[in-house]
Amino acid sequence: MTADRGLIRTVLRLHRTALVVWTVFVLAAVAGLVWLNTVTVDSVRAALDRCPDNAPGFCGALWASLDYSEPTGWISTLMLYSFWAVAAWAGGSLIGRELESGTAQLAWTQAVTPLRWLAVKLALPALLIVLGGAVFVPVYRWAWSANRDLMGDDWTFNDVFAAHGPAVVAYGLCALAVGTLAGLLLRRSLPALGVAVAVMVVLNQYLEIHRADFWPTKTAPGRKEMPNDWWQQGDGHYHPPSHFWPLHLVETGILLTVTAVATAAAFWLLHRRTTGLPAPHAQQARPRATV
Amino acid sequence: MSTVTTPPRATAPAPGAPGTQAAPARRLRWLLRLHRPALCVWTVLVVVLAALLLWLGGPLTDASAAAWNQYDACPTTGACGYDQEAILLYKDVSLYTSLTVLTLPFLVAMWAGASLIGRELESGTARLAWTQGVSPTRWLTAKLALPAALVTVGTALAALLNRLAWTAGLGRVDTAKPWYSIETFYASGPVVVAVALAGLAAGTLLGLLLRRSLAALVGSVCATAALWAGIFMALPHLWPTVTRVSSLREGPSGSGIGVAEGLLTADGDRLGIPRYCGSSIDPSCGALFDRLDAVSFYRDYHPASHYWPLQFVASGILLAVAVLLTVLTFRVLRHRTADHRGGLA
Repeated sequence: MTADRGLIRTVLRLHRTALVVWTVFVLAAVAGLVWLNTVTVDSVRAALDRCPDNAPGFCGALWASLDYSEPTGWISTLMLYSFWAVAAWAGGSLIGRELESGTAQLAWTQAVTPLRWLAVKLALPALLIVLGGAVFVPVYRWAWSANRDLMGDDWTFNDVFAAHGPAVVAYGLCALAVGTLAGLLLRRSLPALGVAVAVMVVLNQYLEIHRADFWPTKTAPGRKEMPNDWWQQGDGHYHPPSHFWPLHLVETGILLTVTAVATAAAFWLLHRRTTGLPAPHAQQARPRATV
Repeated sequence: MSTVTTPPRATAPAPGAPGTQAAPARRLRWLLRLHRPALCVWTVLVVVLAALLLWLGGPLTDASAAAWNQYDACPTTGACGYDQEAILLYKDVSLYTSLTVLTLPFLVAMWAGASLIGRELESGTARLAWTQGVSPTRWLTAKLALPAALVTVGTALAALLNRLAWTAGLGRVDTAKPWYSIETFYASGPVVVAVALAGLAAGTLLGLLLRRSLAALVGSVCATAALWAGIFMALPHLWPTVTRVSSLREGPSGSGIGVAEGLLTADGDRLGIPRYCGSSIDPSCGALFDRLDAVSFYRDYHPASHYWPLQFVASGILLAVAVLLTVLTFRVLRHRTADHRGGLA
């Protein structure tokens, strides 16, 4: 028990920079959304009120809504693609560097079994990713729906789609697992960082391109005009907004499956690599290429 | 890592010692061997990017231009068929290749900071090399010369092909970006080559200062972002501008890289543009202009003829930054190894 608590403290201390960066990022995103919907929105509405309906000529103040919509879009975009940073950090810093420098191997001689070491290394960041999402997603859902008339996006936009539910968290968890597996496989920080980011970018692009195929579409044969909030798929096929949750949950499920497989593979790999080694002795780091 | 001690004088081999002649060739082989993955990745990246840019400038531009011809021949009402796929494909490939060219300096700086220098100092292989008859200065020279050459060639090729692809679509593809857009101006001229070289120098210095690969990696990304942001903000001021005066109704006009714009009063004073009032088409803005005694708009900007002067001045400044950072790197290295000479490495 004390060993576990010590390990948790060690991991938190070793990665305190990442902990601080993540906390500040999530809080800043939430604070930004609150600010936009309490302060910015008032000044934008005041400017828009200068544009009366049916007034002659063009009203320049119409541009004011951009002051609201652009930062809102940036916040959800940064939050969604934060999984790039998670993948890079997990592959490079969390695992790769520890194996490369031998500190992991050293830890395994200090009454911490390799599997427990990995469990703590994964559980703490996973908890923080889930907590971050639990704070961000409800605030974002409130902010996104608060001033629809000022925004130019809809529910099918990549960032809006993911940030409206657990998918944004699933991307972070998947990046953590993929980065960990890459770090364990390659045992070097920089290659693991590159591979983890590349895998996550490819996976994300694949899901974004095929997102609409994960649930059967509805058809409206012969219909020319479709409502704006229908996601048109061509030939009269479309997704109504009510398909958001099925589509979103299937994508989340795919991501969590990849997460589970990568995590299981990471534990299996570590177990296979470290069993049979004499426990109390320092294990030699893999010999490095010499000059 | 402190177990490696520096034998006295081992860092400066005597002239004419056996193996001195073969040393440069051997160093080159060693460098190529150590960074073979990076060399492969860079080569593949440049070749794929070049192939995509040739495809963009040739078949894709032709297909898109043909589609635009079809579209422009469409009657104003009723259905009309045109090759929308070709237009969209051109637009996507053009955007993504340009963005890739703009990220090349980031990759170079990251690699230089983390892999070329940071990792070597972190793991102690650099200090080991310094005990094997390679002086720190020579070590750094060898480390920088070949990457600098490869970065120059690769980035210049990408920039040149991007410019050729852009020129091919000029006046034929309606969605082609103007010369002053970020994708065109910064990704198809000597500026991107100069940023890449400055990034290489910045990454090297950070690797040496931080001595840790991941810290140097993050630092190099920030440094390259700072280089891009700095040149983006400074560039409009690197050459004298042209001023164009336009009517209150027309709004500020003159397309190019803008520097300043505003209202001109009857007395010739320059005023800022009131928020959201870019033209007197908006009656409330017209009334406001009257109250301010404004008679016209002005805009200070760079027309297309300033393209090359701006490119060359900006590249010159960036290359000076690169040289400065390199000199600083050598000084830091000499200072640091002088302290250690004869003692613990």
